[in-house]
Amino acid sequence: MRDLATDTMLEIDGLTLSFRTNRGRVKALREITFPVRKGRILGIVGESGSGKSTVLWSVLGLLAGNAEVTAGRVEYGGKNLLTLNAEGLRALRGEEISVVFQDPMTSQIPVLPYAQQMSDILYRRSMSEADKRKAAIDMLRRVGIPDPESRVDAYPHQFSGGMRQRAGIAMSMLTGPNLLLADEPTTALDVTMEAQMIDLMRGLRDDFDTTIVVVSHNLGLIAEMCDDVVVMYAGEVVETGEVHDIFHNARHPYTRALLECDPARIADVSRRLPVIPGDIPDLTASLSGCIFASRCQKALPACSTTAPPLVERGTGVAKCHLLEGPFADPSWPPPADVTTVMRDTGKNLDASVTEAKPLLEVRDLNVQFRTMGAMKTRLRGVGRPFVDAVLDVSLDIRPGETLALVGESGSGKTTLGRTILNLQDAAGGSVRFEGNEIRNMSERRFKPLRRDMAMMFQDPVGSLSPRKSVRALITEPLLIHGAEGRNLDSEAERLADMVRLPRGFLSRYPHELSGGQARRVGVARALALNPKLIIADEPTAGLDVSVQGEILNLMADLQAEHGLSYLIITHNLPVVRHIADRIAIMYLGRIVEEGPAAEVFARPAHPYTRALVEGVPQPDPDRRRQKTDAIKGEVPSLLRRPKGCDFATRCPLAHDTCRESKPQHRQIAPDHRHACLFPLR
Amino acid sequence: MTIYLFKRFGLAAVVVMAVLLLLFSMLHMIPGNPAILALGTRATPEAIAEYSARMHLDEPVLKQFVYFLGSAVQGDLGEDVFSNRPVTAIIAERMGFSLALICTGMGWAVLLGVPLGCLAAVRPGSWLDRVTGIFSVGTIAVPSFLVSIWALLLFSIQLRWLPAIGAGEPGNFADQLSHLVLPAFAIGLGWVGYLARMVRASMLEVMGEPYIRSASAFGLKPRRIVLGYALRVAILPTITLIGMGFGGLISSAVFAEIIFARPGVGKMIFDAVSDRNFPIVQGGVLVATGFYILVVLLSDLLIAWLDPRVRSSL
Ligand SMILES: Nc1ncnc2c1ncn2[C@@H]1O[C@H](COP(=O)(O)OP(=O)(O)OP(=O)(O)O)[C@@H](O)[C@H]1O
Ligand code: SF4
Ligand code: SF4
Ligand SMILES: [Mg+2]
Repeated sequence: MRDLATDTMLEIDGLTLSFRTNRGRVKALREITFPVRKGRILGIVGESGSGKSTVLWSVLGLLAGNAEVTAGRVEYGGKNLLTLNAEGLRALRGEEISVVFQDPMTSQIPVLPYAQQMSDILYRRSMSEADKRKAAIDMLRRVGIPDPESRVDAYPHQFSGGMRQRAGIAMSMLTGPNLLLADEPTTALDVTMEAQMIDLMRGLRDDFDTTIVVVSHNLGLIAEMCDDVVVMYAGEVVETGEVHDIFHNARHPYTRALLECDPARIADVSRRLPVIPGDIPDLTASLSGCIFASRCQKALPACSTTAPPLVERGTGVAKCHLLEGPFADPSWPPPADVTTVMRDTGKNLDASVTEAKPLLEVRDLNVQFRTMGAMKTRLRGVGRPFVDAVLDVSLDIRPGETLALVGESGSGKTTLGRTILNLQDAAGGSVRFEGNEIRNMSERRFKPLRRDMAMMFQDPVGSLSPRKSVRALITEPLLIHGAEGRNLDSEAERLADMVRLPRGFLSRYPHELSGGQARRVGVARALALNPKLIIADEPTAGLDVSVQGEILNLMADLQAEHGLSYLIITHNLPVVRHIADRIAIMYLGRIVEEGPAAEVFARPAHPYTRALVEGVPQPDPDRRRQKTDAIKGEVPSLLRRPKGCDFATRCPLAHDTCRESKPQHRQIAPDHRHACLFPLR
Repeated sequence: MTIYLFKRFGLAAVVVMAVLLLLFSMLHMIPGNPAILALGTRATPEAIAEYSARMHLDEPVLKQFVYFLGSAVQGDLGEDVFSNRPVTAIIAERMGFSLALICTGMGWAVLLGVPLGCLAAVRPGSWLDRVTGIFSVGTIAVPSFLVSIWALLLFSIQLRWLPAIGAGEPGNFADQLSHLVLPAFAIGLGWVGYLARMVRASMLEVMGEPYIRSASAFGLKPRRIVLGYALRVAILPTITLIGMGFGGLISSAVFAEIIFARPGVGKMIFDAVSDRNFPIVQGGVLVATGFYILVVLLSDLLIAWLDPRVRSSL
């Protein structure tokens, strides 16, 4: 067995804690036990609310004020961090144990330059200010900030998202900590940035011999980056093991289900995604038996009454009756190709796209944003005070079809969606809906069309008025568009049934909904007026894989039933592969490739498409990408649009000719076009 | 930045004009012939006509306004109706008293209110927090002229600790200071509570921000976190509030100067209004408006200096 004293950096043992709330005590963590081995990267994975972040914060002693640790130890360097006094903890924080935060925008103070923030972290060192500054510059250079000598004086808002997270990593590595804790370090970043961040953190681990604990609900990131994995569910550790074991030999039904629900792991393209039915249990209620019993497909009667045994296995433990004891099932776990989760086949799978005329036709659409006032332009001598947020975009959507619009942040996806809905004026081009020009129509004339085109917003809870009940929210569109003679109560019930939201939820308020439920309310609102086209902006961002599956299945069912068309705006490529008929890839406001989804995934023509497709971390440790695969750099600012091909600054295939003039769109199949001078096919 | 300043000064000019125009029309509506008021009822018609012509009194208000502006840009605000001394000289004499009062009043309110709010926010629910809360509610509710009267009655008349009227002997700093204490106390008192509340609220909000948690996670000292990080951000809205607050303080100062018979600009305007001494009123209001606009501009520049996000958007 392992020698705990020399091999273990951090030992969490029986950690049990609860939060006092006015609903009662939330038993957020129960007997969490796992070691963190020296020099390795450990990933904690689980659905939202499983307690991943709480574990991290308890290591640092930075729990919310209403938290109460009732049992357990967190052993580090011979000390129990849970009983260490404030002084002792502060001596460790930042020096020996450091943190990378989820959202670098909110976790870095906006009014201090990085030089100040970083020298503050070094306050315990007897170094001169000049040496501290030099240390900060060196670390910024190490994490890949260009021109660190001058950028060290920048403020967080002057950095792009990716650079900010690099700076965040630089801050946490500045003191050369033994242990680095990272809570969802890439969730706020784009796909290409995520890949770069994974490389960076692995590199730092190798250079500085730092032990890393990373929390994520992104299985791809975990598989790509970690050596060991801890799977948590509703405040308990259900399985631990080395990464290969977890991804290829999962023993716990929950681990198995989580893996099976990940769209990136599902090879066959099917519109129906698997789900884990039900919700995480209420942690204020008294708990008995197996915590997963209410959602487990393999649950036995004993599971809900008798606590399952903790079974040691190859490289870790798993907690399930099927593995040992009187209820052991020798046929469990089944081979990898057997599905263990729910996968209902839906109502009507062949949502065939009719060869009808397009419902929506966008031609050469341009949208510009003013960047400075007229006076400033003249004073600074700038030729054009505009940036092109959307440039020469052409698209068709036929009835019953799903078109996915894919691109990184700042690529103009949302602006395009808003322009189609006439929420944003266009500078040129045309938008036709059912053959009629609708671009820049006055709101009065456009209003009747709002019945036919609906929007699903990105942040469902934020876009729902907190003071309105679900009933009021989902019937609001009816009221706006004149619901004379309709019974609003029965309409509300009809819509709730349509999105499979229990009718009891109609009297709830947005803050009482889970992420998935709030999303359902968003779908119901979009459906209220029986639209023909729904524009969905990141419909599943921030959702757990299983809930994501439920929402996408629901959308597919509604499409099959009502012949809806969808324009789905997203940067989540694995999902797109399953739900889209066609995809359009956007970069700096232009469409660089457009074609049938399966085609584009299998044989991309544009180097950017390939970078995106290959940039998605695979939820399989055997398919880790090579370090060099990730494309370098970041999306340039719209203010500095390259003269030639927009992608030339990052393209691995760029030739000199690419920097001369914009590549025109070229048709390579009736339904497939791209804008690249040296296409891959 | 230069463009920003241009815009701000342009806006300031517009505001000053609007205020003056309003004042002009109001003065014009006050019954009574200003010439008769100035020269006395026994003045000869010739004298009145001559005076009216010299002061442009027989021309339309708008024209009078233009004349006034024209000389104001040249630094001439007209003459005192009674003494014939230049208004600018009179204001210059009195401005010091008002500035001292207003700045001391706001100064002690800031020096006490900001730390109080800060401490209350660091330990919410502590006795200090509760006392501050009660104190704030109590003092904000009482108008400053009542505080002036009570302070006068209690400290000067009853206890005889401090002088009641005037601004002190010229040249005698200690005497001037002792005359400053009561009125400055009276106009600043409400602001102590107001600022404490404001700072407490914004500190509490900032202390909940993720970047404060980051600072703790990097092991910074609590002192550094509160003063160097949280207060650094929380003070920003307070600075705006203080800048705007000078407007209210100017009017409190008028009352305080009347009650304590302090020869400041406020008392000057008040006396001039009762005497129909319009040039003094106009000059006084112009200076007060200009002062207020300047303070607001300074507070905005201070914020831009402290907050890089604002700075880069200028
Ligand atoms: N301050 C708090 N007061 C009350 N309950 C809390 C508090 N913080 C967390 N919880 C509860 O504790 C449980 C675990 O929360 P935690 O944030 O650790 O989950 P997580 O796995 O990090 O989820 P996510 O993926 O959404 O970040 C949840 O049920 C949550 O509602
Ligand atoms: S103990 Fe029972 S309910 Fe729990 S995971 Fe195992 S089979 Fe499922
Ligand atoms: S045109 Fe050139 S730079 Fe642009 S994507 Fe094609 S190869 Fe790369
Ligand atoms: Mg979390």
